[in-house]
Amino acid sequence: MSGGPPKALPSTGPHSLRDMPHPLAGSSSEEAVGGDSTPSPDLLMARSFGDKDLILPNGGTPVGTSSPASSSSLLNRLQLDDDLDGETRDLFVTVDDPKKHVCTMETYITYRITTKSTRVEFDLPEYSVRRRYQDFDWLRNKLEESQPTHLIPPLPEKFVVKGVVDRFSEEFVETRRKALDKFLKRITDHPVLSFNEHFNVFLTAKDLNAYKKQGMALLTRVGESVKHVTGGYKLRSRPLEFAAIGEYLDMFALKLGTIDRIAQRIIKEEIEYLVELREYGPVYSTWSALEGELAEPLEGVSACIGNCSTALEELTDDMTEDFLPVLREYILYSDSMKSVLKKRDQVQAEYEAKLEAVALRKEDRPKVPADVEKCQDRMECFNADLKADMERWQNNKRQDFRQLLMGMADKNIQYYEKCLMAWESIIPLLQEKQEAK
Amino acid sequence: MEQAPPDPERRLQPAPLEPLGHPDAGLEAVVGEEVEGARDEGSGDGTMTENNFWLKKIEISVSEAEKRTGRNAMNMQETYTAYLIETRSVEHIDGQSVLTDSLWRRYSEFELLRNYLLVYYPHVVVPPLPEKRAEFVWHKLSADNMDPDFVERRRIGLENFLLRVASHPILCRDKIFYLFLTQEGNWKETVNETGFQLKADSRLKALNATFRVKNPDKRFTELKHYSDELQSVISHLLRVRARVADRLYGVYKVHGNYGRVFSEWSAIEKEMGDGLQSAGHHMDVHSVRWFLNRYASSIDDILEDEEHYADQLKEYLFYAEALRAVCRKHELMQYDLEMAAQDLASKKQQCEELATGTVRTFSLKGMTTKLFGQETPEQREARIKVLEEQINEGEQQLKSKNLEGREFVKNAWADIERFKEQKNRDLKEALISYAVMQISMCKKGIQVWTNAKECFSKM
Repeated sequence: MSGGPPKALPSTGPHSLRDMPHPLAGSSSEEAVGGDSTPSPDLLMARSFGDKDLILPNGGTPVGTSSPASSSSLLNRLQLDDDLDGETRDLFVTVDDPKKHVCTMETYITYRITTKSTRVEFDLPEYSVRRRYQDFDWLRNKLEESQPTHLIPPLPEKFVVKGVVDRFSEEFVETRRKALDKFLKRITDHPVLSFNEHFNVFLTAKDLNAYKKQGMALLTRVGESVKHVTGGYKLRSRPLEFAAIGEYLDMFALKLGTIDRIAQRIIKEEIEYLVELREYGPVYSTWSALEGELAEPLEGVSACIGNCSTALEELTDDMTEDFLPVLREYILYSDSMKSVLKKRDQVQAEYEAKLEAVALRKEDRPKVPADVEKCQDRMECFNADLKADMERWQNNKRQDFRQLLMGMADKNIQYYEKCLMAWESIIPLLQEKQEAK
Repeated sequence: MEQAPPDPERRLQPAPLEPLGHPDAGLEAVVGEEVEGARDEGSGDGTMTENNFWLKKIEISVSEAEKRTGRNAMNMQETYTAYLIETRSVEHIDGQSVLTDSLWRRYSEFELLRNYLLVYYPHVVVPPLPEKRAEFVWHKLSADNMDPDFVERRRIGLENFLLRVASHPILCRDKIFYLFLTQEGNWKETVNETGFQLKADSRLKALNATFRVKNPDKRFTELKHYSDELQSVISHLLRVRARVADRLYGVYKVHGNYGRVFSEWSAIEKEMGDGLQSAGHHMDVHSVRWFLNRYASSIDDILEDEEHYADQLKEYLFYAEALRAVCRKHELMQYDLEMAAQDLASKKQQCEELATGTVRTFSLKGMTTKLFGQETPEQREARIKVLEEQINEGEQQLKSKNLEGREFVKNAWADIERFKEQKNRDLKEALISYAVMQISMCKKGIQVWTNAKECFSKM
């Protein structure tokens, strides 16, 4: 993208989105463009949404808007996560301290959400609230509603289907806590979502239920308009980029599904192996009781096998608690991304249909009617948001999987190291010569 | 020392080892010399070098196995495996070994040899044969006797058996054993000619003795109890180990499935990656696949090694039966002794009653006397004389039985002590090698996952 004035809005068709200047850049583009490096679309967008330039359909002004921090810190915030260090961040959110609540009607778990921020959107520097799963669910729905052009991170599964899993077991609660923490952190890291009103309330409100009831929804201009897009328009041609993303997500979800199945199978086999080991070790003990000189060596072997069994149990627990949930999370993520892609298709289809209708009504040429322009706006916003989010998602995904797979390798290494230590320590015992017979 | 009456068993003891007309004169000489110096059978705890001249002078190996077909006793075609036994004598001077004998034997001939040894050396813990049929298999191993892996393990087991016999201070000098190694044709006939089958104690007799013996040596009772427990625990161990092997196999093999899906995933990422910023990073998928596949296939070697361990345990499982056989023999002899003593006691009493005229015991004679009138003094005298002769004979028999019994206990216990030490040594070795196997497996696992981790780090 060049630093010149924005060109005329191009028509739809297979175009690389990088070529298109952001439609909302408009007059305030000088600031952004005159900056250090070529800003990516979402930078401009974020700036714009924070501006007072924003015109809402109902004429109101965005609540709690004030000019965001200077463009340089904004730019910093938008860089890849691995470039972020503590100094440039201004929002930290943590989920911890699960507690069980027993009421007459139900029993449930709440988690403590701790927020530390220097952002002006927050009245206090620090907040601590308690939330339960349904609050997270509410938040996610609100985000989907209010930011339909963005990829909203997934929540851990609502219901536990498989087997008889105890909702209140330590392992389940911990797994869920980690996933909820991840969810909030992903939102925190998002340059647009992290400024969302609902998110702010979620983090700060003492009584979330009261707020929920109010039904006050701040919708961004695009959000509102996208909400009203009706389906039923047929898409002419999907830009290559998005077609590729769609195909990729399909394949990606498939591969993840396969990896999930393999991992589950391995864990299953390991558990069955563990069951046998737990019977195997004690037999050496039984034998040891019959013997004289061999008693100590046999008992040693029994203890050794016991240690290996424990190590194996730790491995399978870790894999179940840390590895599988992340895979599942990404499968959910791809699913929700697919629906966002669909919505984008619809927005594009509506625009195309309206444009075509105009083209047929010769009398309106060459002036493009306002509502068609609005559609184009919508579409291009959407495309830009989505593209930016995709990139962010890809990078985060790469990091997440890198960490996940390295973690898996690590856990296996630790397992073998524990076993190695157990067997090595027993060798001297086995080689010991009995002095007194 | 009293004259012991000719003992049926003694007569059947094979002559000390003096090979007849053996072509290898040098070997003959060696064997002859050793026999001179090491005649006492009883000292089982003599050092290996003293009594173990076979191992010093001769190397035995079961070097090959071959499938054969032939006709069996019922003239039906059968397939069996024959094993080549090679015996080498080691020259004194330069340590070189010369092949002296080589012949083929099948499993049933080994069984025949062992049964012979069991009969002729009841006080010896006779080494066991490898199993007849594959037991304690985990699923990958075949339970088929013709399976090459089974045949191979059996070959090793048979070799082990021969080496055990050859290194036993008593058994190694047996003539039939010697002929087994050297005389291919006619060996079966020779063994059968010893008539050992007839001399074997009947199972029924042994069982009877076990139940009825009153005063067996406590050590044998304990030993029998121990061998029962040992058999039970090793069986259990082998069963569980087979299951463990099965499961471990599954764990390793499933890891192989990762390779392909990682490759496929990497391919779709690469496609997507072209337009993206950090397209430069890619997991080294080929290496990951290679490492994981190697991991998955490493289990085959690991479990093969473990089979050797299982075979070592199996040998001692079967040894338990050999221990029990010695205990049974003791019980039989003891019972025999007790019966003889009882018989003698009753005869003495009878004699006393006749002499004194008091009838304390109920006897048919007594009854008939009452019914049909008393016997004449001459008749009574005659009976007393017969009884006194019988008593005399009985006393002598009892003495010799007692002596035999004590000899047996002494010799058997000596061999049992020898066996115990061998067992402790062997099993310790087996446990050490098992631990070493596990260590190697762990090290390999660490290596694989460390390599995989490095590949993942390049994502």
